[in-house]
Amino acid sequence: MDRFISDVKKYQKYTIYAAKSELKSEVANSHLSWLWWILDPMLFMIVYTFVALTVFQKSEPYLPVFIFIGYNSWNFFSACLRQSVKLVAANKAIVSKVYIPKFILIFVKIISNGFKMFVAFSLVVIMMIGYRVPVDWKAVLLLPLFVVLLVVTFAFSCILLHYGVYVEDLANVVTVVLKLLFYLTGIFFSIYKRVPYPYSSLLLKCNPMALIVDSMRQVLIYQSMPDWGPVIVWFIIGVVLSVVGVHTIYKHENSYVKVM
Amino acid sequence: MDAQEYAIEVTDLKIRYKCLNRISIRKSLFSMKKSEIDVFEAVKGVSFAVPRGEIMGIVGKNGSGKSTMLRAIAGIFSADEGTIDLHGHTVSLLSIGVGFQKKLTGRENIFLSGMLLGFSEQQILEKMDDIIEFSELGRFVDKPVRTYSSGMYSKLAFSITAILETEIMLIDEVLSVGDVRFKKKSYAKMKELITNEDRTVIIVSHSTETLEKLCDSILWLHEGKIKMQGSTAEVLPLYNDYMS
Repeated sequence: MDRFISDVKKYQKYTIYAAKSELKSEVANSHLSWLWWILDPMLFMIVYTFVALTVFQKSEPYLPVFIFIGYNSWNFFSACLRQSVKLVAANKAIVSKVYIPKFILIFVKIISNGFKMFVAFSLVVIMMIGYRVPVDWKAVLLLPLFVVLLVVTFAFSCILLHYGVYVEDLANVVTVVLKLLFYLTGIFFSIYKRVPYPYSSLLLKCNPMALIVDSMRQVLIYQSMPDWGPVIVWFIIGVVLSVVGVHTIYKHENSYVKVM
Repeated sequence: MDAQEYAIEVTDLKIRYKCLNRISIRKSLFSMKKSEIDVFEAVKGVSFAVPRGEIMGIVGKNGSGKSTMLRAIAGIFSADEGTIDLHGHTVSLLSIGVGFQKKLTGRENIFLSGMLLGFSEQQILEKMDDIIEFSELGRFVDKPVRTYSSGMYSKLAFSITAILETEIMLIDEVLSVGDVRFKKKSYAKMKELITNEDRTVIIVSHSTETLEKLCDSILWLHEGKIKMQGSTAEVLPLYNDYMS
């Protein structure tokens, strides 16, 4: 693990510069591009509000904020995972010319997707002010929840990065699984209220995203403590999976180039 | 010779490619037979040592394992058996095809490539103007690399590796890119870099003329094994005979 820490330090500047360049190139290519980082969540929020209110007629207090929190976190998670599957092949040009620890590529994606999530969350803050959502000190607990989100995302990304090199249609499988998971995460509905027991508590314990999104809402909208037990369990699972993932990558990364 | 004087020591190196038929979940669910794994041994037990400051050329017919071995020395491939010891020297690989991110500008790619080669931002900034000047890109350096012609790609790749000087340089058949003027320039630059006493260079080339002019010794690799190793005068004529 010392190797991991020394590699992270060594490639730190590279990671940040690469993430910045990626974000810049997205913006440079089109007129609307950086605006899209705000428009995209807003438009989806409007659509889901419509679906929840008009189609299902199930409302929640502060529904738009409710949806926004879920949608932004979900977007970060699913973008990172989706991109990780083909990440080595996408970076073939660099990877076949010079050595770079492959999880550095994941860090670059996490930082650039994370930045976009940050931009979208600032919209959440604006909306909360607009709707006058009552907030107390527990909002600060959002930070440890972000840490858990980060660790879980990194863990799954490492594993997908490794298997994505060898298994060809993993990308398709991941797309389908993520779609399923989206609906099981309760982004535009509340799992407590709409999903019958015992499925609701099963979902909240087994789907890390459902757990994280719900905890974020507890802390931001309902001013209550999230259920720390499962959160800590998932944090530990995330750390363990990350260790396994990094170890696997170190062991096999020099053979990735041979397969491509 | 004292071990400290060697820049590169390769012992019993073996590199294999597993031609994995990439597994498809759909196919493996429906078919009964196991996916076959073809193993191709590209480098079959090679040992040699390169003293510091020496310029070694590697020749051999196509498919002999030259590029594979260079990639292993550069740390991109791992050796399946045997060891490669670089004695802590920095190493860079210069080869055809470019390690650039197409969407990013030339300038950004210079930074990224430089950082991956182990240079600090400060060092790259200092050499930035030299690199841009050598590559003759002018204002194109701030445009995305996908707008470049293939000649421009190669010139940029060459400039980055030539100006950000590492202690060991591995050159894979790339001294012949660019137009006549750039070829002369790159050749002259190579000479300048190479005559530096401390720099060790390995050149893979099919041009015996270039090898004769630049190299001290030649390694002849044939189908993954060393056929002959010795001074340029010894090996090159025999190699020429063999290939004609």
